[in-house]
Amino acid sequence: MDTAELIRLGVYGTSILLILIGLYAVLTKKSLIKIIIGLSIIDGGIHLLLIGIGYVKGGTAPIFSPGSEDAVARMVDPVPQALVLTAIVIGFGVTAVALSLIIRLYRHHNTLNIDEIKNLKW
Amino acid sequence: MKKAIVIFFLAVFGYFMAITFLSPEFEADRNRNGVKDFYLEKTVSDLKTANTVTAIVVNFRGFDTLGEVTVLFLAATALGSILFKKRHHIGERTVLYPASTIVGSGAKLIFPAIILLGAYVFIHGHLTPGGGFQGGTIIATGFLLMLISYRNFSISHNILSVIESLAGILFVVFGFMGLIYGGSFLENFMGTGILNDLFSGGVIPVIYILVGFKVAAELTGLIYTILHEKG
Amino acid sequence: MVGTPVFLIAIPLLAAFLIPLIGMIWKESVRIIPGLVLAYMTVLSASLYLFILENGTYVETIAGWQAPWGIDLVFSPLTGLLATIMTFMGFIVWLYSYRFKSNVEFEAAKKYFIFLMLLVAGSVGIVITGDIFNQFVFIEIVGISAYALTAFYTGRNSAEAAFKYLIMGSLSASALLIAIIIVYAQLGTLNMAEIAANIDQMNVHYRIIAMIFFIIGIGVEAEIFPLNGWAPDAYTEAPGPVGGAFSGIVVKAGIYAMVRMMFTLFDISGPMKILIVIGLVTLIVAETSALRQEKLKRMLAYSSIGQMGLVLVAFGMGTKAGVFAALFLMLNHAIIKPLLFLSGSFLTFNTTEKYISQITGMAKKMPVVSVLFALGALAISGLPPFSGFWSKLSVLTAAADENLMLIIALVLIISVIEIVYYFRVINRLFFFEYDESVSVKPHKPGFNGMIALFILAGLILLIGFYPASVTGYLDLAADDLLNTHQYIDKVLQLGQSIIQ
Repeated sequence: MDTAELIRLGVYGTSILLILIGLYAVLTKKSLIKIIIGLSIIDGGIHLLLIGIGYVKGGTAPIFSPGSEDAVARMVDPVPQALVLTAIVIGFGVTAVALSLIIRLYRHHNTLNIDEIKNLKW
Repeated sequence: MKKAIVIFFLAVFGYFMAITFLSPEFEADRNRNGVKDFYLEKTVSDLKTANTVTAIVVNFRGFDTLGEVTVLFLAATALGSILFKKRHHIGERTVLYPASTIVGSGAKLIFPAIILLGAYVFIHGHLTPGGGFQGGTIIATGFLLMLISYRNFSISHNILSVIESLAGILFVVFGFMGLIYGGSFLENFMGTGILNDLFSGGVIPVIYILVGFKVAAELTGLIYTILHEKG
Repeated sequence: MVGTPVFLIAIPLLAAFLIPLIGMIWKESVRIIPGLVLAYMTVLSASLYLFILENGTYVETIAGWQAPWGIDLVFSPLTGLLATIMTFMGFIVWLYSYRFKSNVEFEAAKKYFIFLMLLVAGSVGIVITGDIFNQFVFIEIVGISAYALTAFYTGRNSAEAAFKYLIMGSLSASALLIAIIIVYAQLGTLNMAEIAANIDQMNVHYRIIAMIFFIIGIGVEAEIFPLNGWAPDAYTEAPGPVGGAFSGIVVKAGIYAMVRMMFTLFDISGPMKILIVIGLVTLIVAETSALRQEKLKRMLAYSSIGQMGLVLVAFGMGTKAGVFAALFLMLNHAIIKPLLFLSGSFLTFNTTEKYISQITGMAKKMPVVSVLFALGALAISGLPPFSGFWSKLSVLTAAADENLMLIIALVLIISVIEIVYYFRVINRLFFFEYDESVSVKPHKPGFNGMIALFILAGLILLIGFYPASVTGYLDLAADDLLNTHQYIDKVLQLGQSIIQ
């Protein structure tokens, strides 16, 4: 197994691990803040995964500098990098809205424990 | 009991994720002749933009960016709507520990530098790594620093919302100018100049600078709204 | 022509950025501008729809790059029909809430109308876009507007309903993103038509995993069974007109996204059965839950979920008749459910809990609204001669063509259940005496709200007595959905703009 393969496995493995850790937090934690942290960890894992699929063996950044216009063949895939920018901003927006909802919930219930807030049935 | 079910579920989920992404076939089966090469080629030849990621974000997939800017705008509006109170006490903020003199003076010292760095990053977004979103975030961190160092540092909410709205309006207006002068929405209708010049890439740097202003104003507004919220 | 499909997205966004500026000078504008924009969108999509019926599908490119490279907007007989319905319903909801919101302050009203306008724009975007990542962005626009609208009233439970919706929406968006990652890594493209054309090159294993993630990702907006836990709470806690907007607009966009993914992207015979199974489970669970509800809006919400299950069953048959029936159901549901939500919102105006028992005998106090509510209830439970009858009949005939006797039996049983729970409400409304101690104080409905209700009721009667007035359009739309090759050809090869 060569180095590039190991790097690939490392990146994908880490991102899957991050997604699992985040899901665990969302599903088991009682504090609303911790649930939101879990969501952010999931987002982080997915962003890493997205960046990871764009990697090309021995690739360089997709930026042209004077004299390197012929480097196209070695450049990594720029599309996932553009997508991840969009995904990060969207994740940020959702997190901001979630935090404001938490502030509202705390204002009404004076607690962040999800067991004490549940008064809507499933 | 609940934890056991969750761990079982996570194990199943993780197994399927692992066999999807970690198997060597995932790389072997990949179709490398996608849209990527076209983007790299056209970025140099047609758009004359050094940073391909910027070219994709602003031009090839500019419609996504318009949606993204809208998401940020919606988040800022939603924050205001969700935390809306009839009597809004602006300026009364609970600070547990007032910042020390060292933090205060240091913040004053590096605040202009942060703003300058942010402006540099979004003005050069088409040449170097970075762009409107990154530069806007850097500027917002400058305002965050000032807000946590000085209790009475205040920003006019009206000015922020005017900057935010104007930048958004100009983004859409540039899109429509592309429709009028170029033939399709968001088309690059200005001359593209020479690769690696500051004034190159046509409409791309203009739109990214607008995005930078918008993001900076929106993030500062978000921080400001949350900081002035009393639990 | 008054514009191209991109105006359907760009004009509302422009207006959303403009409203805070103009609102500083002229306060009434925050109510009027969204109405003008929604009216413009309705006129534009209707005229574009008539245009493409004559000249064929119109594909618009963005930023001047052809379809596989740039983002494209597809205005076809199917997407045009849905866009027209959605923008029209958006206008109706605006008309209803124009004065309804006059009791809230300026700031709150401004945000309410911005969210409503972007909710409609995002839903239209989900339908007309031809790019999966762009669809994800629009799903998020719809999502954030919907969370904010759910939490609009500062009551105790609204924030909780919105939080629940946000957690589910955010997890499903993650799933959608993973699906997009798998598809992009394998095929190197994000364009729907190109994915559809190259789907055979994808390993079957990855295809199935990606499809499962897509179903989870879109299922929250489409209200399929395990992912619809947010819906009853959100419908109950959101302002009245928003329930109508969710059921009339957002859910339709979700169903479209799911169907487009199943029929066009993953064009294999297997998943059709999956749709039938998902739809049946959703239908049975939702309708039996609706039977047990004590609150009016929760009942309507479960009924809405059940109807979406029936739509998925009809789509799942995969035949022309099935797709036709499903589209007919969607059209009727888009008209009838908002009528029920809006009139129900007038009936329970002065109560926060919105129990069914609180509207006992309201027909004596608010006869017109009660009759309109009853009309909607009769129509949605599929009684002739109202519009719901024809759509249910077409589902039954489509199932009979395929010899799916189980489905026919289930649909008939479900119809009986629907009739039971709607008649429970109608019975309380009309045949009980008004009782001061139980019932709420009647509210005088606003003029603009009544116009909105009468327009919807008129449409129900029109489709009920002359179903031929819409079946032709639905037929074209069904053809359009089933003809994947034509979609690919139109987007990839004939992508040049027709109108200059």
